[in-house]
Order: sequence, then structure tokens, then C-alpha cells
Amino acid sequence: MNSAQIEIQLIASLVAVACAIPGTFLVLRKMAMISDAISHSILPGIVIGFFITQDLNSPLLILLAAITGIITVVLVEHIQKTGLVKEDTAIGLVFPALFSIGVIMIAKNANDVHLDVDAVLLGELAFAPFDRLFIAGTDVGPKSLWIIGAILLITLGLLFAFFKELKISTFDAGLAASLGFSPALIHYGLMTVSSVTTVGAFDAVGAILVVALMIAPAAAAYLITTDLKKMLLLAIIFGVFSAISGYWFAHWLDASIAGSITTMLGLLFLIVYLFAPSKGLIAVMYREKQQRIEVSLLTFLLHLKNHDDIEERHVNHLNEHINWQKVRSKTVLDLAQKNNMIEIDNKIVSLTEKGDEFTSKAIDYIITNEDAQIEDMKDDFFLFRG
Amino acid sequence: MLGSFAVLRKQSLLGDAISHAALPGIAIAFLITGAKDSNTLLLGALVSGLLGTFWIRGIITKTHLKSDTALGLILSLFFGFGMLLLTFIQKQPNANQAGLDKYLFGQAATLVESDVWLMAIVTGLCLLVLFLFWKEFKILLFDKDYAKTLGFNTKTIDILITSFIVLAIVLGLQTVGVVLMSAMLLAPAAAARQWTNSLSKMVLLAAIFGAFSGVFGTAISASQNNLSTGPVIVIVASVFVVVSFIFSPSRGLLFRQIRFIANRRDLEQQKTLAFMYHIAETHEDISHPHTIKILNNFQGFTRKTLQKLVDKDYVTIDGTMWSLTQKGFEKAANLYNQQHKTDE
Repeated sequence: MNSAQIEIQLIASLVAVACAIPGTFLVLRKMAMISDAISHSILPGIVIGFFITQDLNSPLLILLAAITGIITVVLVEHIQKTGLVKEDTAIGLVFPALFSIGVIMIAKNANDVHLDVDAVLLGELAFAPFDRLFIAGTDVGPKSLWIIGAILLITLGLLFAFFKELKISTFDAGLAASLGFSPALIHYGLMTVSSVTTVGAFDAVGAILVVALMIAPAAAAYLITTDLKKMLLLAIIFGVFSAISGYWFAHWLDASIAGSITTMLGLLFLIVYLFAPSKGLIAVMYREKQQRIEVSLLTFLLHLKNHDDIEERHVNHLNEHINWQKVRSKTVLDLAQKNNMIEIDNKIVSLTEKGDEFTSKAIDYIITNEDAQIEDMKDDFFLFRG
Repeated sequence: MLGSFAVLRKQSLLGDAISHAALPGIAIAFLITGAKDSNTLLLGALVSGLLGTFWIRGIITKTHLKSDTALGLILSLFFGFGMLLLTFIQKQPNANQAGLDKYLFGQAATLVESDVWLMAIVTGLCLLVLFLFWKEFKILLFDKDYAKTLGFNTKTIDILITSFIVLAIVLGLQTVGVVLMSAMLLAPAAAARQWTNSLSKMVLLAAIFGAFSGVFGTAISASQNNLSTGPVIVIVASVFVVVSFIFSPSRGLLFRQIRFIANRRDLEQQKTLAFMYHIAETHEDISHPHTIKILNNFQGFTRKTLQKLVDKDYVTIDGTMWSLTQKGFEKAANLYNQQHKTDE
């Protein structure tokens, strides 16, 4: 590993951390698509900045781009406020228009300079170490490292300073307003941070990767935990992990670093999506199946309680009467037996004392419309879940 | 046209997501076939676009992540993966790869006759399906539960609409490119929505708006050099949207503002009249003159409202004094009653 490689990984990790923090809040505030909009619509800001300064590396560019980002947010909100279209439509209308303006400005005026759409959208991390910052003639490291480092420091500072306010206004905007925090101020603050992060990160990693780095780690973390602090931490870990593993993946494939970091993020999210405890796809499907069987069990027990005659309680009768398939009735019967709810005597099913008690309570809850209570009751009665 | 459905179904950003999600499909199709035949590439785009759509749907229904997160996630992840594949392809010893990135930003000029025919056929197909399933689409759109109770297979119809949206997007990619596709889908529909409340009219209008922005955009971009077609089309479409927002007769901002001002004037006039009535009530003679000075802004008094009241013959003015006429008194009394009635 040479120093350029270390620097690339360092930049990628810093970008990942810087993106994960505002990204978490964007995901929680249901504004994830805003980051996509910002990342596209900063283009005209950059182009205008370039016309003014004629220098791709001037800080004015970042400032102007951030302003364009905020203009996007404001425009989206104003269009939405008129009530003519919904929020997502407003986003979808604003950013392509701004992006088009940017593209046209480039095409008309800046055709011969190093500023093309691909560079803006895709970025190239591999060249980042070659663009170095010199202070008083000494080489202090790649420029984008400093830019993103500064942005990260500011973001972290703001996060620690306003963590409580952000937390409250994210989860309960009404409470935050009544406590005297200005929701608008926090909203625009967050938007500004997002814009600045997007801008600072994009020339290193490209607009699309910024969006991926903002949303994917936060979304994956959200599937695992509901605690805000843990979520932030997890998002950061996910981001850094995919940044570094993505770099080596790209190294091995000899392909775009940004693309492979995104791919790693995608894989990471896919794994979390499938296997996350309690929120993942498999867990959800397992729970749904369990619920189905337990509902069947309840139906079955109620049936038993209502019918005393022997032929109604015959094992074979289940198949025809409650319209279950054989496998299903077997599962339900087994579960009921395991939980000591029923006895099977000579193929005649009857409720045990415990089964009877359970069923009566369940009926009570159903009659009084408190079906939710049945869930708690299951914990008391069941030895085995479905 | 299909955009109308997307807008009404609150899936506006789906277009954006799908157009990005189509990229890996194009790249994979190229990797497999090694040729740049536009049909196979489109097929790949279609498959990966559909895959993206259904994954988005899966995320929304199976987890507690919201739709915006799911969209942004799929969009960026698929696109990033596509970029990885594209850069990977570029390193391959195959000279054929140039031009794949045309799909990114679109180039209407590169279209050849067969592409146009393909588009025409697909458009015709869309129209046909739209006509055949018009009723089903409409019900599903506005009242999903009702459609279910009527026995329609909502899932199939849903998949049908989504597939057609994806198809339309994938086709459009060649013309305007990934980034601007969502605007092509949305802008005409959003503009059309402002002019009508009827679905059929809206779809028709959206088609017209879309066609117009296409034609105008191409014309403008052809008239000047160095202007790419896609962005110009999008800007023209955006202009349509802005104009619709402002000037649409029933929903537009301009007319709403005018109505708002008119309402406020009416209200102020009524307030002045009511105030006069309360003063006149305390006098034996309802037409007893009072000075204008006692009317103030709090009662909604302006010189204009007073003049209007005079024009309506409710009030007479004599120098700096005003007095209610009989007609004005009755009107004010009734006004009060009516307000009470509506209050109750």
C-alpha cells in the first residue's frame, strides 16, 4: 500500500462519514430524495462560479454550489406550498430544470475547458491525490482531503452542538416548535449542511455516489436499530466499511472507485435488508408466517370451544370443515399440542384446562375489540411460538 | 402520457429512479452480447428497470423505510453499479464500447430510423393497452379498495401500469438521457393537471404538452449549434409547467390571487356596511349623517370601498358626512342575518 492508496482510502472514508451524518437525518425526515435533487441541481452553481473565477478549485465554487442547493430546496418547498402538485412531483420538476440549465451553460460557453458533465456527475477518486495543496511551498496533502476534512469537522461540530434540537425536531416537529426551537432554522441548517457536504464531496466522488453514501448507510442502519445515536454510529461504520472495501474491489477489478463503493453499499444494504433481525425481509416473512399459524390456531381453538359434539372434534374433520390443507392442520395441531392447549384422545380433539382458559380470554378480548391484547397474552400462554 | 398516472399515483420520482436503474441493465446486456445492438440493450434496460421497481416496492411494503428512501437507495445503488460495469467495460479489449455512455445523457440526433419505428410501435402499444384497460386504470388510480371489491385483479393491473411506465422510460432514455427522463415523464403531466380535473383530458393534454415540448425543444436546439437536445426539451417542458402553474384558470396562482383579492374586497365592503349599520341602528333616522372620520381601517374602510357602496346606492355621501340609505340599511340587516344563518 503506497501513500496515494492510503490517501484515497482516507478521503473516501471521510466522505463516507461526512455524508452519513446528514444522510441519517434526511432518511428519518423522509427527505432522502432531496439529496438527489441537490446533487443534480448544484451544476448551474458550479458553472456560474467557474465563469466568475475561471478556476475550478476556488472556494467560491463550493459556496455558489451550496447556494444553488439551498435554492433548490426553497423552490421545491414553494412549489409544494402552492398545493398544485405533491412534494415528490415538485422535486422531480425542479432539479431536471436546473440541471438542464447547467448543461446548456456548459455546452454554450465552456466547451473547451475542463468542465464536463461526466466529471461532475461521476467524479474520479483516483485522481484526488494528484491535486495537492501547498501551503508556503510545502506539500500538506491532497486538496480534497482538506476540503472534506473541514466540512466533516463543521458537520461534527454542528451535530454535537445541536444534537438535542435535531433529535426533537426530527421526531416531533410540533414539540420542537413549542419548546422554542425554530423548525425552519433547523430545517434550513440541515439543508445547508447537506448541500455543502454534497458539493464538497462531489468533486472527489461524484454526485451519484454522494447520494448513495447519504442514503444507503442510513437506510441500512435504520433497519437494524431505532436508537438515533446507534443509527448514526452504524451508518458511519457502514459508510467507512464500504468505502474501504469498495476501494480494494475497484483496485482488483481496475474499474471506477465510485462505482465499486456504491456496489459495496448495495451489497451491504441487500444483506441487511435480507437478514436484519426483526426488520429484515426474512425476519418479516418469518413473523408473518408465525402470525398466520397463530391466527389459525386461535380459530381452531375457538372452533373446539364452540362445538361439543364428537364428530365436530374429529381430527379428520378439520380438513373439510375449516377448509385447511393437510399440512396446515398438522402444523396447527402440533403447535396446540406442544403448548398443552389440546388433548387428542382416539382422534378426538378436546381442549385442556389451559386451552380453555386461553380461549375464553381471547374471546373476551375479541368481543371488547382489544385484539391487540391477544399478542401479550400469547407471551403468557405459549411455550412454543408458531 | 403515462406520466399522468405516475403523477396521480404519487410515484413521480419513480421515473428518475427507473431511468438510473436501467443503466446496469444496458451494461450487462452489452457484456453478454458484446454488441451494441440497441434492441438487446433496451431489453437489458427494461429488465433492470423492472427489477429496480419491484425492489423499491419490496422495500416499501416489507420494511419501515419510506418510499423516498427506497427510491433514492435503488437509484444511486443501481446507477453506481452501472458505472462500475461501464468502467469495467471500458477496460475490456473491445473497441465496440464507445457510445454506451450516450445512453446517459441522450442524443436524439443519434437515433436511426429503426429506433424511431420501435418507438412508434411501443407508443402504439401503450395507447392500445391504455384504451383497453382505461376503466380499470382509472378505478385503480382513484379508489384502490373499490377496484378490489369489484373483483379486478389489482396486482396485475398495477404491474401492467408499472411495466408500461418502465418501458416508456427506457425508450425515452435514448432521446433525453438518464437525468432528464424524469422531467419528461413529469413535466407534461404536472402541467396538464393544472388545466383539468378529468383524467381523460389530462392524459390528452399531457400528450400534447409532451409532443410540443419535444418539437419546440428540438427546433430550438437545432437552430443553434452546441445545444444538446435533451436539456432544451426539458427547459421547454418546464416553461410549460410554470405557465400552467400561473395561468391555469381554476388552479393557477394568478387567478387564485385575483380571487383572493376579490374576496377580501367583498369582505371589507361588507364589514364597512355592517359597521355603518350598527351606528345607524342607534339612531331614530337611519339616514342620519355621520362623519367619514369615524370609519377607520379596522372596519375595513378604504376610500374605494366607500365609493363602491355609494355606487351600489347603499350609502350617500354629502361632503365629509355619510348616511345609510334605506336600501343600504336593509341590505346590511340581511347581511347580518345571512351571516348568522350560515354560522348556524
